[in-house]
Amino acid sequence: MATTYLQLSNELLRESNEVVLTSANFSSAVGIQQHVKDCVNRAYHDIVSSEPRWSFLATGESGSTDPFYGNVYVETVAGTRWYELKAASSAVTTDYGAVNWDDFYLTTIGVSGASAPYVSRNLPFKILEDWKDFRREAENIDDADAQNWGQPNVIFRSTDGRKFGLSPIPKEIYRVWYFAWDLPTALSAHGDAIVFPDMYTTVLLARARYYMWQFKDNPQASAFALDDYKKGLRQMRSNLLNPIPKYMTDDRVRVA
Amino acid sequence: MAQSQPFALACQGGLNKVASQLELLRTPGEATRLQNFEVSTTGGYRRISGYSQFGDGTRPNSANPILGLKVYADGVIACSGTNIYFSQDGDSWLQINMASVAGGGDNYSTFTGRSAAARTSQGQADFTIFEGATDYGELIVTDKGTGVKPFYFKMTGTGSALSSRTYYAKEITVSGTEYPKFCVIHDKHLVVAGAGTSPNTIYYSGTSDIDDFTTSGSGSILLDDQVVGLRSFRNNLIIFCRNSLYKLENINNSSTITVTPITKNIGCLDGASIQEVGGQLLFLAPDGIRTVAGTARIGDVELGSLSRKIVPIFTDIAAGIDSYNISSAVIRKKSQYRLFYGGSGTATKVSQGVVGTLRINPEGGSRFEWAELLGIQASQGFTSGYDVDNVEKIYHGDYTGYVYNHDTGDQFNPAGTATNIDAEYESPDIDFGDLGTLKTLKYVKISISPEGTVQPSLRVRYDYEDTNIPQPGDYTLTSIPSPAIFGSGIFNTSVFGAAATPMTRQAVQGSGNTAKFRIFSDDQNGSYRINGLYINYEPSGRR
Repeated sequence: MATTYLQLSNELLRESNEVVLTSANFSSAVGIQQHVKDCVNRAYHDIVSSEPRWSFLATGESGSTDPFYGNVYVETVAGTRWYELKAASSAVTTDYGAVNWDDFYLTTIGVSGASAPYVSRNLPFKILEDWKDFRREAENIDDADAQNWGQPNVIFRSTDGRKFGLSPIPKEIYRVWYFAWDLPTALSAHGDAIVFPDMYTTVLLARARYYMWQFKDNPQASAFALDDYKKGLRQMRSNLLNPIPKYMTDDRVRVA
Repeated sequence: MAQSQPFALACQGGLNKVASQLELLRTPGEATRLQNFEVSTTGGYRRISGYSQFGDGTRPNSANPILGLKVYADGVIACSGTNIYFSQDGDSWLQINMASVAGGGDNYSTFTGRSAAARTSQGQADFTIFEGATDYGELIVTDKGTGVKPFYFKMTGTGSALSSRTYYAKEITVSGTEYPKFCVIHDKHLVVAGAGTSPNTIYYSGTSDIDDFTTSGSGSILLDDQVVGLRSFRNNLIIFCRNSLYKLENINNSSTITVTPITKNIGCLDGASIQEVGGQLLFLAPDGIRTVAGTARIGDVELGSLSRKIVPIFTDIAAGIDSYNISSAVIRKKSQYRLFYGGSGTATKVSQGVVGTLRINPEGGSRFEWAELLGIQASQGFTSGYDVDNVEKIYHGDYTGYVYNHDTGDQFNPAGTATNIDAEYESPDIDFGDLGTLKTLKYVKISISPEGTVQPSLRVRYDYEDTNIPQPGDYTLTSIPSPAIFGSGIFNTSVFGAAATPMTRQAVQGSGNTAKFRIFSDDQNGSYRINGLYINYEPSGRR
């Protein structure tokens, strides 16, 4: 079982020789106990905000619908260009924390009533300015008049970051697959567990310790904790984000 | 890096209920709670000893309340109901308020065969002993019931068996049907006062003729105020009145005998509070315990009070004095003055008292340091004194008629039932030298002198018990064994190698700007003395 909010808080409280919390009084913590709880959440957010694409924040398991890659999809509506990345979200505070804009995929496979030959293609990302300069005007005229629309071949991101747009405007129902990461949920109840492996609790504790020692006017201990945190975070990145071999490619051709 | 800091305090100063929080920062050795502890003359605060039944627990007069006790001869006198009793051992009681006793004395069988001279409406008793040349002295008993004359009793014969002794008993006529409440022997005279019919008149007997108020040297003096107590103090007789104090001088010279006011601005609440301790005559005044000398010198200003630090207690006593009985005694071997207050309706468990110890301070002066007592029902019968063997004896009696050996053992024994002693010491909030700095406490070392195996608990509270500060739970200290000391160690009880005054270390948690410490026990373990505390803490900023 993953480490809980109560366990993390108490580890820090014990370390600073403070009175530990119990599940009974956790929600009514006061003074230094509440501060330590805040430190744990702050440290948690620091870790998450340092890299929004932590594997443990993935919205869903990748490839859960084999053979597609991506953990969420949106079904298009004929004649509609813009789609919320997270349809159920009502505000940016509940949107996905991140999406992989370089890995959007369009298909009719799995769409109700669709049959072979299926559409199956990658949707490359286009910056908003390109779409605006070269496509928007014609697509809007078509949409208002002939409504021929088309099969999307690029995606672009709305300025507020909440939606993606398709160009051309879809003429039928497609599924657009992509990979998304959730925003972190702050720890609240005593039994709330951290979302990453226990081995990285030391990183979180180092960061929380950094804040706690600041509160206790102990800059030296705080600096030690910060150093521990930085080292730990590097290790987390290395282990969780970059575990694969790295390749470098070059398409130049030798000219004799 | 913040370094841990030491802080040590020696337990001294006693209970202080009047100083402000900031004043107490300068006197961390004082206590804000000191219940069933006593200030030790050798330093520190000692959990008091208990009390045990006198003898086998036989009551002098069944369930009639004890109205007064007095150490006499090789036993104790007890007033109960309408009778007066004497016992050597508490197993059997000899009724001594007999009528028609022969002037030359009765032998045991004759004496016990006499009819009783009932002490009608007997109230709380007052005693005095004229030592004279007899074996045990001559005892005079008066009481607040105002229903009978003073009672005279004398016992002679040095054999240990009561049956081998001779008994003298009679009532003393002062003047007609005057029934004085208070009595004292002063310079070869018996002096009585406080009769309901003449509350402001003192009567003195003939010279060296304590049972006759008509012979040479006798007389009476009318005062302005009602007498509540009498006490002989050096060459003077101090007359305690409700709102004034007087001294009577030259009682043996009818031409120069005078009564001089000591003060007319302050009086005595109850004559049973008067005791002589350390060369001072103490009494209960409306503002606390005072000395006659101090009152004479300083007057009625509050500076004359010895109990300024616990004045709220005495304010309560003064407010309820009409419903309280008061008793007091001096425990000489401890330089202690103990006073109990309460009524017949006050249950034993909540019966209260105060104890003041006369201590020599570091500057060489003496002062009283105070503590509270709880669970001893002794507000109507409490006495101490030296018996015929010059051994100090202390007794108290309760409202259910039992008589107890006071200040002995490790438990209370009301009606023969062993009961815990609920003891608490609490230090003031301590700022460790800087109120503004947050401190994280690491551990506390408590210097304890155990008298048996003891295991008190420790409670730490931060920032004046601020509810917004996490407060740790209670810590039960490691059991502290009774040390084996050559000459006093008990086989199979004392622990070889145990320190006589160990420092018990207890890790503690929490932080705050101030911290206070409560050491408490509610058990029947041995007594122990808390000498002081050592606290290790780490400054943790000024937030």
